Amino acid sequence: MPSGALLLQSIILGLLLGGLYALLAAGLTLYFGIMRVVMIAHSAFLILAAYLAWWSHSRLGVDPLLSMIVTVPLFFACGVLLQRVLLARLRAVTLTMMSVLLTFAIAVLIEGLLGYVFTGTQRRIQLGYGSASFGIFGARVAVVKLIAFGLAAVALLTLYLLMKKTTFGWALRATIQHRDAARLVGIETERVAGYGFGLGLATAAVGGTALALDTTIYPSLHWHWIGPLMAIIVVGGLGSVPGSAMAAMVLGMLQSLLQIPLGTTWAQTIFYLALFATLAFRPQGFFGGRLAQRF
Amino acid sequence: MPSASEPTTAPATTSPATAPPTGAGTTRRRTADRVVQVVAVVLLAAAVLAFPSLAPNPYILSAGVVVLNYAVLSTSWSFVGGFTGYISLGHGALAGLGGYGTALLVTKAGLPSFVALAVAALLVAALAVPIGFAALRVRGASFVIVSIALVLILLLVFQSWASLTGGSRGLVVPRPFPDLLRPEHHRVFYYLFAGLLALALLAWWMIDRSRFGLGLKAIREDEDKAEALGTPTFAYKLVVFVVSAAFTALGGGLYALWFGDLDPVFQFSILTGSYLVLMALLGGVRNLFGPLVGALVVGIGLEYFKVEFGDTQLHLVATGLLLALVVLFMPDGVLPAIGSLLGRMRPAQNSIREVTAAELRDQRVAAAGAPAAREPVDAVASTAGERAQSTEERA
Repeated sequence: MPSGALLLQSIILGLLLGGLYALLAAGLTLYFGIMRVVMIAHSAFLILAAYLAWWSHSRLGVDPLLSMIVTVPLFFACGVLLQRVLLARLRAVTLTMMSVLLTFAIAVLIEGLLGYVFTGTQRRIQLGYGSASFGIFGARVAVVKLIAFGLAAVALLTLYLLMKKTTFGWALRATIQHRDAARLVGIETERVAGYGFGLGLATAAVGGTALALDTTIYPSLHWHWIGPLMAIIVVGGLGSVPGSAMAAMVLGMLQSLLQIPLGTTWAQTIFYLALFATLAFRPQGFFGGRLAQRF
Repeated sequence: MPSASEPTTAPATTSPATAPPTGAGTTRRRTADRVVQVVAVVLLAAAVLAFPSLAPNPYILSAGVVVLNYAVLSTSWSFVGGFTGYISLGHGALAGLGGYGTALLVTKAGLPSFVALAVAALLVAALAVPIGFAALRVRGASFVIVSIALVLILLLVFQSWASLTGGSRGLVVPRPFPDLLRPEHHRVFYYLFAGLLALALLAWWMIDRSRFGLGLKAIREDEDKAEALGTPTFAYKLVVFVVSAAFTALGGGLYALWFGDLDPVFQFSILTGSYLVLMALLGGVRNLFGPLVGALVVGIGLEYFKVEFGDTQLHLVATGLLLALVVLFMPDGVLPAIGSLLGRMRPAQNSIREVTAAELRDQRVAAAGAPAAREPVDAVASTAGERAQSTEERA
């Protein structure tokens, strides 16, 4: 039996990790809700944002957090373009399958370009406050992890307020719920869908910056993220933002706790076990709504 | 298509001279098509079989083995991807399982190489049942997610379970023909891969013509309607997934016996899966030889990149770009695109006559001798011919 302090430490780390997962899964859920697209390139953009944060720190000497001033609007624009220029061109009948391939191609392209420009060397941001940490009841929590969690929490809260309180959020949710009906009441669903994609990709920019703070990054890292994220959105029920957030917290916590007896590598398998179990016994997911039934 | 040609031949027997020219032309064109197809298949088979004697050095021959291996895997992929339209990015992992299964059965259980290959394929097929059960109960998106998860989870397991699989140090597979020199070894395996490819193509062709294949294609076109019409969609999808997994495992196992060294990073790589998809899509998934053609193009391209650019990441960039271009502009593949281009060069398929009405009347008068009596029959014959023509255009 591990000591109480170790357990507490794992729970706290699990919570902090779950927050980041929740933010990133929210982006994936948005894409799926809007266009039934499984966006494989989401985590590649995450790593791209992390590289931009590292680059701005090591080459320009600014704090990595400040890189978000550029990356968030940039990624938003990328998301809008991606939806309007590329995904909207695909045939509606085969959209789900072909969009997977298209976003996969983009992910591979980003990985290849990152490897070409920055080489495959592992990179890490050295921050003044990078090694700072504080203790609660014997558990030690790194400040950067807390900052990362704070970023994720603020971004998720902003997303929530945007979706619930603004006219744009209503239009976006209406588009997700029933596209034709949304068009009938006068919502320009094409434009809204594009902005929705932009929002989704903006979460990757925030997540990537948070990731860069305390993780060693390399171009093929995104494959380690896309698997858990996809497991999370299936367990949560495809298309449900609160569902994926719940699943992210639960699975992030489980991963962190299982690391004590199993080690980091085997602990990752919990995501895939949860994925297979969900599909075999409850394909619509555990928090899924109407959408999940058919996919 | 016999139904389209029947009405054109029937009136032709009553008045052979006035038979609508279009009808006879179609039948002739169909025969010509069949001849062209047979000639193309024979030429292709001859080219494949002659390659080892033409290859200038063992490296080119080994590249040929790699390309044939890709062709086998890509054809196996298209059992699922082509017939049902379910795109799997995880077939690389099934091939890897076949490879590791064969290798472990040879090294740990001491089975003869090719018995181990067959047993490994059966084991992978058995494993494909629960995987397919989880992946195929729901529609497309979940299937893709499961297929990617399969690659990632197997990579984790085979890297971490070093006591069984050798982990990242790799696993050496004993060669089945220890006394063969390397070029001879390549040559033998080249023919083995060619045989496996022929087997896979034959299976594909038989499914394509069967009622089972019809059901699978109905799933691809509209799964809801297929289900409403009584197609057992889930059972069909599962069966074809298992068949596809078995062929993929055979391909992977044969690769293991040929190459002799397995590394989890390459065996369970999501890139391998995406190469297979790219090959099949590029060639054309609805076409028997589509994956083979795609494997030739992409396989040769990959070898070229390996030689020219070595270890840089440029092959990723090229793969990504090519995949994106194919998905955006040529989702039906190269073969159908070429087919429609050739279609434009052919005699136009329409009902416009290249003669004036006056000339036509003169021809008929000359041919029939008694114009007044024959006129109605001619009218029926020509309209029937045109109708057959138009059904054909739609088909």
